[in-house]
Amino acid sequence: MKHILLKGRTNWPAMIVLIIAGVVTLVPFVWLVLASMKTSGDFFTSTFLPRFEGKIDPSRLTLEHYRTLFTSLDLGRALLNSLCIASVGGVLSTLVSAMAGVALACYEFKGKRLATSVVLASVLIPAPLLLAPGYVLLHQLHLLDSLAGLILPMVASAFGVYLFRQAAKSSLSKEMLEAARIDGCSEWRMFWIIALPLLRPMIGAFMMVTFLGAWNNYIQPQVVLQSPEQFPLSVAVTQLKGQFYQDYGLQMAGTVVSIIPVLILLSLLRREFVAGLTAGAVKG
Amino acid sequence: MSAAQPMHNRVRASLAPYGLLLPFAVLFGLFTLYPLARSLVLAFQQTFGPEATRYVGLANFAALLKDSLFWVAVRNTVLYTLGSVLIQLPLAMILALALQSKGVRGKSFFRMLLFAPATVGVAYAAIMFGVMFEKQTGLINQLLQSVTGRGLDFPWQQEHVLWMLILASLWMFTGFNMIFFSAALANVREELVEASTLDGASAWQRFVHVIVPEIRPVAGFVVLMSVIGSLQLFELPYLILNNSGGPDNRGLTIITYLYQNGFENGDLGYASAVGWMLATVLILIAAAQRVIAARRSVA
Amino acid sequence: MLSLGPFSPGAWLIIASAVVSAVLLAMAKPPAKSEATMWTFARMHALMYEPLVADWNKHNSPKVEMLQLGLPAIERRMLASFFSGTPCADLMEVERRAVARAFAGPIESVGFVDLTDRLNRDGLLEKINGPSFSPWSSRGRVFGLPHDVHPVMLGYRADIVEAAGIDVAKIETWDDFERVMRPLQEMGGKGERFALSMWETHGDHLEVLILQAGGTLIDEQGAVTIDSEINRRVLVRVSDWCAGPDRIAMDAPNFTASGNQLKVAGKVICAFMPDWMGDVWKHEMPELAGKVKLMPLPAWEKGGRRTSVWGGTMLGIPKAAATSPERFEQLYAFASHLYLSQEVARELYRKGGIITPVKTFWNDPIYDQPDEYFCGQAPGRSYINLAGDVPLRSSSPFNARALDHITSALVRLCEERRSGALAQDAAKIETRAAELLKLAQAQMQSKAERNVFLSHAAEASAGHSAGVSEGGGR
Repeated sequence: MKHILLKGRTNWPAMIVLIIAGVVTLVPFVWLVLASMKTSGDFFTSTFLPRFEGKIDPSRLTLEHYRTLFTSLDLGRALLNSLCIASVGGVLSTLVSAMAGVALACYEFKGKRLATSVVLASVLIPAPLLLAPGYVLLHQLHLLDSLAGLILPMVASAFGVYLFRQAAKSSLSKEMLEAARIDGCSEWRMFWIIALPLLRPMIGAFMMVTFLGAWNNYIQPQVVLQSPEQFPLSVAVTQLKGQFYQDYGLQMAGTVVSIIPVLILLSLLRREFVAGLTAGAVKG
Repeated sequence: MSAAQPMHNRVRASLAPYGLLLPFAVLFGLFTLYPLARSLVLAFQQTFGPEATRYVGLANFAALLKDSLFWVAVRNTVLYTLGSVLIQLPLAMILALALQSKGVRGKSFFRMLLFAPATVGVAYAAIMFGVMFEKQTGLINQLLQSVTGRGLDFPWQQEHVLWMLILASLWMFTGFNMIFFSAALANVREELVEASTLDGASAWQRFVHVIVPEIRPVAGFVVLMSVIGSLQLFELPYLILNNSGGPDNRGLTIITYLYQNGFENGDLGYASAVGWMLATVLILIAAAQRVIAARRSVA
Repeated sequence: MLSLGPFSPGAWLIIASAVVSAVLLAMAKPPAKSEATMWTFARMHALMYEPLVADWNKHNSPKVEMLQLGLPAIERRMLASFFSGTPCADLMEVERRAVARAFAGPIESVGFVDLTDRLNRDGLLEKINGPSFSPWSSRGRVFGLPHDVHPVMLGYRADIVEAAGIDVAKIETWDDFERVMRPLQEMGGKGERFALSMWETHGDHLEVLILQAGGTLIDEQGAVTIDSEINRRVLVRVSDWCAGPDRIAMDAPNFTASGNQLKVAGKVICAFMPDWMGDVWKHEMPELAGKVKLMPLPAWEKGGRRTSVWGGTMLGIPKAAATSPERFEQLYAFASHLYLSQEVARELYRKGGIITPVKTFWNDPIYDQPDEYFCGQAPGRSYINLAGDVPLRSSSPFNARALDHITSALVRLCEERRSGALAQDAAKIETRAAELLKLAQAQMQSKAERNVFLSHAAEASAGHSAGVSEGGGR
């Protein structure tokens, strides 16, 4: 770790900045979790911990909302749907993008320039523009109201190709591939044995980026899926607002259920996530 | 045999890139390029289902330029973008500098904590902030009340829609941008910093003359991504404002306008025209950034 | 050492979860295909219909499965289905704003079955309260069974009002209302209390008042009528209420915790109450039982209309679902069972406080039963007494947008008044209101004129349209 601006023992100015930022970041989380465990009455009369006769009384916190979510509202199925969309989508998207990224970075072929610029430009297309024509297409392909209809379009990620192209450029060389080729290695084996292991940091990071993106995607499933048993968390939980507008505790509990898995994943995999994420920018 | 093998391999090598590209190309063509082409056609049509479709030439674009509501959306989106970029990025930079400086404890804890909001989906953040910004019972108002003794007696959604959105996105994305800055700072060459310290440069001088030039490429990338992301703001206001543009359309963004026209009014042609206008601007911005960056690296 | 290949532990975790979740989902039982599906958007409706549908399914076919979806979801699916033939329910219960969107194209492209002739044959156009058809009629044709009348009254805190010795029977106009209620108001400090729960940002409130005053946003021929004398009067008056020196309005938004809290605490005395709102209050504010009463809306002028209309729902049969005449008959039979039987009308009132649009059921004694929540008043009878006066609701696909525009005008007018830009100069306020309405009118008009389907159709069918609303009318 390098120390750039200030030197000394405990660096209080920097610590204070970080502590303030940390508290501001944390407060909404704390508020959210507490709100999800309060009855409607307590929700309105207390900001954080519930009060009883003027005194703070943590024993009034309840898990009732969570029970409701998983028993009568079947949020478990939505959780499973989200998990499936995000992980299957993440894995396939990573593989497909890595293949295309390696192709663009390590091979010479006809149409390479065109392919590269089309991919780069399409990173900039606002996704909602494709919503309506994409919907009709999914209908024609009989993919509406299916998880496949959500997963397949996200598999071909132009952003992913861009990232893997960058990563392959900096960690793979044509000479390396040429050497393997002379040893009689097939191109497909080469991709698995040589290219992928060298791209390992980006693979982990991109898998998580797509996982996150798919987990948090709201508009796409909202448009593509029809049957409630197919809904992922994002749709199921935002629908709570329309159905139980008055029951804030329940909505907040749904929100907690939706963000906890992602936070757990993040804390488990923080290193590769951050490293991979920034690699694209720093090496770019 | 041994002479034939490289030949054989060479043929395969020339086919290999196509093989590697194939899955991507098929899915990309099907789910991105084809709908994109369709949307371009749509932009020149007025339609109410396949049986009721008319070509209207450039009428959609012409109407758009005269459409005051579209310009309201543009104005809001640009203001939001300026607000969030100008506040968020300097803050992110300050946090990154604090995180990189010597004598800070719990670095990885702070890094993760500050980054955590970026993993919260916009839809969930919208649910959360919608309630937090409510008048009277909302967290923000209660905090205001306890500090100043007086809350706002109208909901934030009225006069301060843009501020509300900027605050929410500050919470969500500052830590995210900080991660990029701090990765760039970690790559700053130590010799340069040491040298300037020996020269007796102040912290500010060191920042301006040593660090900024070193992190310029990353900063350019972060600014570009923030601008492009902010110009596409949609789900946050749409959900907080109950599927509308908010009072007096103060929370109407370009993409919300696209969505309203396409999916709520069924005016798909008009919606496509909105989308293509935005796409054109985004591509121009990105191209401009490339040109500037290229010029700098030459100079 | 364990070799993980090209994948980090994190990546393996995601891969494992992909496999496990895909297998679990593949094993999940696919839902049984139902014989017919119905979509509804309101939780209250779903709860209310459940026993009725179960009863139907015991004795009849097709067996109907009811699904509750969010309104935006139904809306999008409805439009998508009409546009591109994607699958949708066999019966759709849709709210007014959403239905209007189905009317944006040529009349023959409306995705719902045209019920006009059938309703006529069954004598329903006479049996059902005329204004109830208006939101489901476009260019002279009716596309759904009406669910409601939704007259609006004023709910007031009887405990507060009567303690002050006020007799609301003396309130006949909004002028009376202001005069009588003002002494109950408290301002400044923490003890704020206002006479009326309404705010400039709530387009719903504004529409209630405009329709009551006889104004329209889009007329029956589809012309934009935002900039009218009546609307200007309403706009200026409402800006007095929200932003004038003697304001009487306070924002206590419906369906939010903060708004309910203000109502329970007695910070607002009166609120607009369509028939469906009573049920909402009972569920959300049980504390107010025995403290609320209803009175007719104060009129805009002496002898004027004492009610308005808010909301509206219909049940429609998509063309795509009526695959054969027999199928249509079956679906229509179910729809009539749900909407037009006396038993259901009672249920609708008992569980939802909503009065049926079927006039022949109005003499049912259930509507005369005293309701403890409303201090022993019989709300049903009061609403029915006003039902004939309910104004027409527009079915124009532009109505929602027009309301948006005029609400923006009001918001600006109010804020300019609060900021002091208009002083308290009545003439200046009038002029500014006129300017803002003109602007809103121009914006809406340019939008409406773009629609190539409606601008032609409006000319062609202007005659018809007048015909039906009279046929079904008062």
